[in-house]
Order: sequence, then structure tokens, then C-alpha cells
Amino acid sequence: MDSAERRRSIIVGVFVLLGVAVFVIGILTLGGQNKSFVKSIKISSVFTDVAGLKKGNNVWFSGVKVGTIKAVRFTGNSQVDVDMSIDAATQQYIHRNAVAHISSDGLIGNKIIVIDGGSPQAPIVQDGDVLQAAKLLSTDDIMATLQKNNENLLAITTDFKTLGHQILAGKGTVGALLADSTMAMQLRAAMRNLQVTTAVAWQMAAQLNTFGQKMNTKGGLADKLLTDTVAYARIQQAIAKLNESANNATILTNNLNKASNKLNTTDNILGVLLNDPAGAKKVQATIDQLQQSSVKLNDDLEAVQHNFLLRGFFKKREKAKQDSLKAKI
Amino acid sequence: MNTTESTTKPVPSRLSRVRGSVSDFFLMLYRVYAFIIRFFKEVLLPPYDLKEIVRQCYETGVRSFTLITLTGFIVGVIFTKQSRPSLTSFGATSWLPSLVSIAIMKALAPLVTALIAAGKVGSSIGAELGSMRVTEQIDAMEVSGTKPFKFLVCTRVIATTITIPLLATYVAFIALLGGYLNVSANEGTTYVTFMEQAFEPLTFVDFWASLSKAIVFGFTIGIVGCYQGFNADKGTEGVGKAANGAVVTAMFLVFIEEVLIVQIAGWFR
Repeated sequence: MDSAERRRSIIVGVFVLLGVAVFVIGILTLGGQNKSFVKSIKISSVFTDVAGLKKGNNVWFSGVKVGTIKAVRFTGNSQVDVDMSIDAATQQYIHRNAVAHISSDGLIGNKIIVIDGGSPQAPIVQDGDVLQAAKLLSTDDIMATLQKNNENLLAITTDFKTLGHQILAGKGTVGALLADSTMAMQLRAAMRNLQVTTAVAWQMAAQLNTFGQKMNTKGGLADKLLTDTVAYARIQQAIAKLNESANNATILTNNLNKASNKLNTTDNILGVLLNDPAGAKKVQATIDQLQQSSVKLNDDLEAVQHNFLLRGFFKKREKAKQDSLKAKI
Repeated sequence: MNTTESTTKPVPSRLSRVRGSVSDFFLMLYRVYAFIIRFFKEVLLPPYDLKEIVRQCYETGVRSFTLITLTGFIVGVIFTKQSRPSLTSFGATSWLPSLVSIAIMKALAPLVTALIAAGKVGSSIGAELGSMRVTEQIDAMEVSGTKPFKFLVCTRVIATTITIPLLATYVAFIALLGGYLNVSANEGTTYVTFMEQAFEPLTFVDFWASLSKAIVFGFTIGIVGCYQGFNADKGTEGVGKAANGAVVTAMFLVFIEEVLIVQIAGWFR
């Protein structure tokens, strides 16, 4: 073999080797993706509708790809038996009461089986086990719900449309509020008042809070009232006396009431004086006459003092009075 | 006797021309069939000319490597670049690796390789064997006791059947690399993530279907080139016809085989 031929053979060998190597790497990568070269267990689930699931699609558990679909076949009464190959390393995390349901990889992606749920109390899934299948929420179901939502939305928007027209026309409270500037100003004023009231209420609450704190202060009045039994007994006595006084006051008031009632009648002197104008005039005339009589009596007594029969008596009394004054000095 | 009448050839009717064409077509089919059967008969029988097979592998595979690599890289970059706007309008640029890998692995890699090989290798084989035929080298080999069919045809067909799947593998890898460079430049995707996403939608059926296609394409290019060259006639004009026929027929058959293999692969999905 000459050198050129040898060189050519080596190049061809490298070319073939590299090509085969790239191909094998591709196979291994694909096998790794499809979990073809890892130890696996086979489990299955029976669905009424698999929505286009096919062999080779993925199986997810808690959002992680754990296997692939190995077979999809009819069984029983038009049901579909789906065999899944699950990576043995993830077997310990899947329990027998886990539920399998059909989902999709993204919004319009391939169909997949999602295994979820399963309690730690349940035994770990084993090769050949059948997982419970959850009912698939089909696209038709979703569309039906969406249609219902659309109808509701239409009804709501129609109502809003009517409401909007009425508001624009100034009908109703909101319409009047929007259309009538006076009402808006009043509302603004009311809001301002409410704001002020709120501020006052806030202050009051703060004061009440302070008051409450003071009430709770050890040794304070409230505290003594609540804790000092002697003071409490005294207060009770005071209250009893107050009660008694109040009763007396009530009696007094009743008496006064009766007296005032009598004053309003004309069957007694005071009543006549207060209520009978004619009687009052008579009394006034009598008093006037008495006054005149006393003046005259005064004059008469003056005249008596100067009478010779009584003059000596008055002189002696005057002298005695003067003597007593001198003695005091 | 009229001289004109005696020299004028009878004009064949349209029916007889059609009949002749159909007959020629079926005759050609028979010859092709016989050629393929002869190949399988001779390829299995010793002696096996490994040196010539290696030389042909070098000629058809290694010599095409640069052209194929460059083409594969351009295909990967262009396909990714052209696919992006459509996916962007759906907000699904993250699907680019999957889309590129599906397109390359399932269709583009074997097809592009086959078309380029049909142009480069097929025409080369057709022209080489055709020139050997018209210069009577093949006849000389037969006279000298060398089996020209085994030496010229079997080695070349084996070489194309081996090298074109390898070239298709390179094209797939290089095209994916081109796609990765484009995706990486625009979306900042890492190589590992790109390859994970690229292999995510593929199955072994896709792999084997592509490999089968590449093998069949390689065999077709080789056998067509050899047939056209081995049966060339009419001097130097025949060489050109052989080269041209090798390319056109190989490309046509490649597309037909593509359709058939895609259908067959679909049954295994």
C-alpha cells in the first residue's frame, strides 16, 4: 500500500468513525431524552378519553418528566388502556393512590399524562400497578363554560350600557349627582363634614384611650373604686344617704307642690292675695287704712306723752336711759 | 419507379410512436431491474475489493464533506432565521429548537445530502463510467478477465450507500449547530438547552426513518449513476447524457423515495 493510498484509507476511516460517533451520540441523546436506557417500571391507567395521546408522549409527575407512554389500546367498554414506562429512580415518590390525568405540554403542545396526588401513607407504586384515572376536562367542556361566561358578560355589559345611558341622562342618584352641580357641591361639603367628624372622632377615640389608660392606672380613682372595699362601703353609705335625701326632697317637693296648688286657689288668704284681684284691693285698702290709723295713733301717743298725767313717767324713763349710757362709758 | 418514393421512409403513426415509447420504457425498466439484480448477485460474491471501496468512499464521501458541511450549516442558519418571524408572531420562539430539529432530522438532512450528492457524486459516477464505456475501457476490462461490473459498479454503489448516510449525519449535526448559533445569537439559549429542546420532539422512529432514507438515497444515487454510465453510448455525447441522466433520474427517484419512506415510517408511529 503506497503512502497516498494509506493516507486516503486513514482519512476515510476517520470520516466513517466520526460519522458513526455523531450518529451514536444522537442515538444516546435521544435515548436519554426518552429514558430508553434507564431501568424502568411499567404502570398503566384506564381512561374513557385520551384526547389524542399517543405512544412516545411524556409522563410528568409533579412537573418533572418521569417516563413515556409505551402503549395506547382499547379495553373493556370502549375504554383506553394506557401503559406508561416510569423511571425506576422516581418510583419511590409515586404512591398507589396517585391520580393520572391527561394534560397537554403547553397550550397547544403534545398530550401528556400528569400524575399527581398520592399520600405518603399509601404504599409505593409497583411494576404492573394500575393508577386511578381522573376525568379529562375536554376542550368542548372548556368551550361550553367559556360560552356561558360570554353570555354572562354580554348580559353584564348590556346592563352597564343601560345604566350608562341613564346616568348620562341624569336619571337616578348617580345621574343626578353627575348632572347636578349643586348636589355635587353638597356632597363635597358633606364629605368635608364627614372628614371633620372623622377627625373629631379620632381625637375622641384618642382621648378615650388616654382616659382608659388613666382608669387603668394603679392607685387611681377607678382603680380604688374597683379594689378598695372600705371606700366602696363608704360610697354605698353615701349613696344610701343620698337616696334618703332624695326621698325627703321628694316629700318636700310634694308638700311644696301641694302648697303651691293651694296658692293657686282662692279658698285661703294667700290664695286670695295671689289670685283674687278684688280681695287684693280690699287688703290693700285695709293696709292703707291701717297705715293712716297708725299715723293718727302716733300723733295721739305723742299727745299723751305731753299729757301732765303721764309726763313724769316718760321723763323718768329718759333719765334712767341716760344713766345707763353714762355707766357704760 | 419514382426515385422520391423509393428514398422516403414511411412516417410512423402516432399510435405506433406511443407504442414504441411504452415499449422502450418497459424495456428500460427491465434493464434497470436486471442491473440491480446483477448488483446484488455480484456484491455478495467474492472477491471483495475493499481497497477500491475505500477509494470510492474517499471520492464520494470525503471529497464531498466540505461542500456538504457548508450547505448543511447554511441550511440550518437560514431555516432557523426564516422560521423565527412566524413563531415570533405567536410568541413561540422557544419552540425554534424543536421546529429546526424536526425539520432537519426528519426531512432536510437526508434530502439536502442526497440532492447535493446526486449533483456531485451521481454526475461524477455517470460521467466517469460513461467515458469508460465510450472509450471501450469497460470492454477491455471484460476482455482482460477483470469483472468490470464488480470493480466499477459494486464498489461505487457500496461507497455511496455507506457515505451518504454518514454525510447526512454530519449535515444534521452541522445544520443543528447552525440553528443553535442563530438561536443563541437572538435568544441567548445555551447549547445544552438547545439540544435538549431539539431532541425533545424526536423519536427513534424519526431517527431510523432518516437513516433508512439516507441509505436508500445513497444506494439510488450510486446505482443510477452507475447504470447511466455503464449503459452510455453514442460517443462523447453519451458521456454528457449519462452524467445528466444520472443527476436528473437520481433527484427524481430521491423525491419519490422520500414520499414512500415517510409513508412507511408513518405506519410505525
